[in-house]
Amino acid sequence: MPTDSGSATYLEAVGLALDSEMDRDPDVFIIGEDVGQFGGAFKVTKGFLDKFGPRRVVDTPIAETGFTGLAAGAALVGLRPVVEFQFADFISCAFDPIINVLARHHWRTGDPMPVTMRAPFGGRLRAGPTHSQSVESYFAHVPGIKIVMPGTPEDAAGLLVSSIRDNNPTLYLENKYLYRRLKASGKISLDPIPLGVAKVVREGTDVTLITYSAGVHQGLEVAAELDKDGISVEVVDVRTLVPLDVETIVNSVKKTSRAVVLHEAARRLGYGAEIAATVQEEAFWHLDQPVVRIAAKNTPTPTSPPLEDAVIPQPAEIAETLRKVARA
Amino acid sequence: MATRSRRKANGNPVDRHDKDLLRRIHEVMVLTRAVEDRMVAMYKGGDLLGSLYTGHWHEAISVGAASALRPDDYLAPIHRDLGAHLWRGMEPWQVMASFMGKATSPTGGRDGTLHYGRLDLNIYNLPSHIPANFPVATGMAFAAKYRGEDKVCLAFCGDGSTSRADFHESLTLASVQKLPNIFVIENNQYAYSTPLRLTSASATFADKAVAYGMPGVKVDGTDALAVHEATVEAVARARAGEGPSLIEAVTMRMHGHAEHDPADYVLPELYEEYAKKDPVELFENVLVNAGVIDADTAKQVREDARQAAIAARKKSLSDPMPDPSNIEDGVYAD
Repeated sequence: MPTDSGSATYLEAVGLALDSEMDRDPDVFIIGEDVGQFGGAFKVTKGFLDKFGPRRVVDTPIAETGFTGLAAGAALVGLRPVVEFQFADFISCAFDPIINVLARHHWRTGDPMPVTMRAPFGGRLRAGPTHSQSVESYFAHVPGIKIVMPGTPEDAAGLLVSSIRDNNPTLYLENKYLYRRLKASGKISLDPIPLGVAKVVREGTDVTLITYSAGVHQGLEVAAELDKDGISVEVVDVRTLVPLDVETIVNSVKKTSRAVVLHEAARRLGYGAEIAATVQEEAFWHLDQPVVRIAAKNTPTPTSPPLEDAVIPQPAEIAETLRKVARA
Repeated sequence: MATRSRRKANGNPVDRHDKDLLRRIHEVMVLTRAVEDRMVAMYKGGDLLGSLYTGHWHEAISVGAASALRPDDYLAPIHRDLGAHLWRGMEPWQVMASFMGKATSPTGGRDGTLHYGRLDLNIYNLPSHIPANFPVATGMAFAAKYRGEDKVCLAFCGDGSTSRADFHESLTLASVQKLPNIFVIENNQYAYSTPLRLTSASATFADKAVAYGMPGVKVDGTDALAVHEATVEAVARARAGEGPSLIEAVTMRMHGHAEHDPADYVLPELYEEYAKKDPVELFENVLVNAGVIDADTAKQVREDARQAAIAARKKSLSDPMPDPSNIEDGVYAD
């Protein structure tokens, strides 16, 4: 079992939150491939089977459509399933139940559908085109799904608690590159963090960087560098894509008059397009420069390090873009 | 586990059942037919929004199976199963309102046509691509087992559905988890225009049960008692914690896929064969011959059903259309 030593990793924070919700609410259970005996492909649920038993820690066959639909049926009659997709890439096997069953059920019928879908996503692990995808935009287009993308261990815990308690299908995307690279600065709080509230993680005056998940850390590192050159970057972590905290984003842009959006998903119709469009709709007359997007190239994610690094945004590109927008 | 066709047990099967139950099954089958015949007229007369999906010749399956459940058991029916909804207490006017996009439909006009399932009747309201209801049915059964309840969940699908991944994944999950599911395949010979020979090379659909490690049985889907008895057996097994079962009920889709479809691709001899096997008439004859009802009662049941369908049409026609001002409400639950 994850124990909070005071410096939980991002991965342990996810496990701590899940553990505490399963302790708190007997209707919460975890279901997915290898989540029981094996403790999950990334070990988020290590020890869960011993503690909660096979009734609440459910190992499944390789059947994403089946177990996602199972979660929908269980949620309809009052349980609170947490579904683990082994990799976010495999979620395409469950498009049908997510989009046609989970997402629109409440709007059609008024019956709540409290299903949390956890999925490790993202690149930089040299895992290639079908183990590195950022899937948020596939689902952001579909009304009825909430999308949660924590960037820190602290947010990973509090946002998972809220996701599980939410009465809607929630896609909770865990950045697997951050799993063991990030540690909490203190003891993790398991208090819920409300969905739809962005966070200004660094205050600045010259340009706003709007980002989420691993982009938060890339952004903070680059912002610290640029500070030495006298460029003051404000970093906004949106934390949840749906619902989106437009107010916090717009207030920051009104302050800095310049906005850059950063994510590691592909550029075309990535979530940055939505943010950029929203900023120009809500804060056009406050902008001194067009909103610029930094995103992955419109290619699949390659495996080999020089190739993957050429596709996913790197610190040099982020720094150069911010510098250009801030000084233009 | 071998699959089998149900053999007729000795004696008159009518004698094995409560007479009130038999009369109720008959009444709901007759009502189902009357409501669907009325809706066909409404379709032709332009009362309905889009097409109309009916379950002519599926009445013995939908009512025969639903009548083997308790009201607190879960149902995940498809578009041929009006009879199962009526068995549970759905009002015919609500179904008509659904096909008209009325505010009084179970979804208030947000969804329409066959999407009128009501969770307060323990019936799942499915999306269009069947058998998307199958995984959901495993979840309802999972929840019952999780809570230590003895409820079961019965899901219907068609012959065409058996080709899809969700059919395979659901039967796999239900059997490895020993879920209290009953899966009923309504084999009506055609998946839209696709005949059985292009859908499956299996000798029967019931055969598929062997591979999933569950009992499979093939029954005459025009025989309400055969369907009912096969379902009773599967329900008992599920309730006892022994896991899921598969039932293949064979009938014929006597109308098009929907009313817009002339179904001129259907082999005429199939229509001829099944014209002699109207499940509603067959069951009426069984009950009259066994003295459970008399001919006058049978006539009265038909007339009551006809009047109920006429009244339902009147009510649904006069019901209001929905108000679009709140269309963005409810995308998310509170």
